[in-house]
Amino acid sequence: MRRGSLTLLTLAVLAAVAGAPAAQQAPIKLGLAAAVSGGSATSGEAIKRGLAIAIDEVNAKGGLLGGRKLELVVRDDEGNPQKGVTIARELVEREKVAAVFGGLHTTVALAEVPVWHELATPYVGTWAAGTNITRNGKKPNFVFRVSANDDEVDKFLVRYAAEQLKRGKPGLLLENTAWGQSNEAGLTKWFGERGVKAVGVEKFNWNDPDMSPQLLRLKQGGADVVMLVANAPEGAQVVKSKAKVGWEVPIVSHWGISGGRFAELTGELSEGVVFVQTYSFFGKQNARGEAVLKALKDKYGVKGPEDVTAPVGTANAYDALHLVALAIEQAKSTEGAKVRDALEELKAEYAGLIKTYKRPFTSEQHDALIERDYIMVVWKGGKIVPVAH
Amino acid sequence: MIVQLLVSGLALGSMYGLVALGYHMTWATSRTMNFSQGHVVMVGAVVAYGVHVAAGWPLAPAALAALAVCGAFGLLVERVAVRPFFRAGSPVWLLSTIALGIIVENVVMLAFGKDARAFPSSLALKPVFVFGAGVYPQELLLPAVGLLLMGGTQLFYHRTTYGRRLKAVAWDSEAAGLMGIHVPRAVAVSYAVSSGLAGVAGLLLAPLLNVSPTMGTLIGLKAFAVAILGGLTSASGIVVAGLLYGLVEALVAGYVSTGAREIVGFAVVIAMLVVRPWGLGGARPARRV
Repeated sequence: MRRGSLTLLTLAVLAAVAGAPAAQQAPIKLGLAAAVSGGSATSGEAIKRGLAIAIDEVNAKGGLLGGRKLELVVRDDEGNPQKGVTIARELVEREKVAAVFGGLHTTVALAEVPVWHELATPYVGTWAAGTNITRNGKKPNFVFRVSANDDEVDKFLVRYAAEQLKRGKPGLLLENTAWGQSNEAGLTKWFGERGVKAVGVEKFNWNDPDMSPQLLRLKQGGADVVMLVANAPEGAQVVKSKAKVGWEVPIVSHWGISGGRFAELTGELSEGVVFVQTYSFFGKQNARGEAVLKALKDKYGVKGPEDVTAPVGTANAYDALHLVALAIEQAKSTEGAKVRDALEELKAEYAGLIKTYKRPFTSEQHDALIERDYIMVVWKGGKIVPVAH
Repeated sequence: MIVQLLVSGLALGSMYGLVALGYHMTWATSRTMNFSQGHVVMVGAVVAYGVHVAAGWPLAPAALAALAVCGAFGLLVERVAVRPFFRAGSPVWLLSTIALGIIVENVVMLAFGKDARAFPSSLALKPVFVFGAGVYPQELLLPAVGLLLMGGTQLFYHRTTYGRRLKAVAWDSEAAGLMGIHVPRAVAVSYAVSSGLAGVAGLLLAPLLNVSPTMGTLIGLKAFAVAILGGLTSASGIVVAGLLYGLVEALVAGYVSTGAREIVGFAVVIAMLVVRPWGLGGARPARRV
């Protein structure tokens, strides 16, 4: 009898030992649906790096749910909403991913919103800032975001112009796209709250070579600050044209100008342009910042912070992945609905790269980063340094 | 403000004219053109960036290399995207040249990257002030070189044997062929020269516009509008139309609204097509009965 129970115990232990590697062989798949080719490839690559670095950290600690490793499945949306919907389905239905991370394009993210709800799969945006992506009216809401939100950014920019710079005659200079339009609405709204009306609204197209007519019109209108919504190449043309027309006026910019090589394109003219970021790899870093920079160097040959193109993509994605990992651990499951619930009621505190997240999401708030988490940065000698308040 | 707008308009207008002349040259010899002229502008700038900025060659050989590549690219366009269809009398060259442009753009994206890069030039660092208007010296170079080259093309046509041959082909390619002119070669040469002009535009624009795979698209499109306005058969008409288009753009943007700029520009083109389809400088085609 005694001998028999011992045998049983031995068998049980053997079974447990044999069972462990079997569990390890079933990784938890996570998806990335973003533009990784074409015009916005830089953003996709930056997001991929942030996710990969965080996944390596989780896996190095033994993975999730008792030893299951994380695995990233990347699909290219080509910046095309139609394609975005197709790959969203593919990631969930064929690859069986537990959650999906999103890319740069607001249009794509909006088109995918119904898919995540139909397939009950949590989605965490890491870049696209369109207000309605997270404020989409769905209950329960499967769409989360660790990035900026246009509406919050506009509020942030307006507050900076009005309180820090004490300016009351803003001129808006926007790219002629849906993104420019949504910010025109946001900026107008938040300036309106302060009883301020823009003295002029000017638009430009991608690859416009000369912005002096736009600037001259704003100058004639009496603008004392320029609110800029542009990507790096057009932003560069704006500051070059501004030097040309000889207009000394502060520029307060959305984060588009951080996506390319603004400093290289403008040289010393970049000096003094302030813009919003969720994170900066320049200056003193917290422990995670040091670790991420080291991983970027070791894994991708990045030489230093000035070499991190599209830094917000990497930073946002890194924190987003750790939050999802915590939610999976809390849900004790990879089931979409359970992970979603866990994200909304995250118990663990996460001391992340961008900030310390305490209860980052609620049923009402699906943006982990809001106005007070943003930082204002400025170009100084080709580097991005936080603005001292 | 008016001086500022005039300077901006003339600088850009001369570039439109230069690129548009490229449409004219191939149209004259073969009644075809490279719809991806804008992409050739980009190729010129990207090659110059590659050998001058990245590989460190001095500017002069780098510029020559870029122009050589553009010329060779023109020959390639003619050989693979135009000649096969032109012979069959099919208008497919219209699509095939666009397709070739898209291919080139994507190849450049892979090889060069997507980010716009700076092309440093001492002429585009500090603006100088003329009558109260700021202007980068490079911008003054644009109309200077542009008008010089436009004049040069005219001399080439009227004063050199080869230029006259091209003109003969433009006049009547069948008769020119009978007179012993190698028409296919003349067409190929016109493509090389046409692309060379676009390459020059690319070189001149690189320091102002930054170098990127998509930098030429808008210029190519506007140059096409200019070519229609000026008349595809008239080099002088195109030069005038280019300058006018640049000026109108700048003035509309400055005094009406920047949003109205493209609307007015292309509306004028449509109006021209309705009222005077042969363009400002073109001759009304004789009707064959």
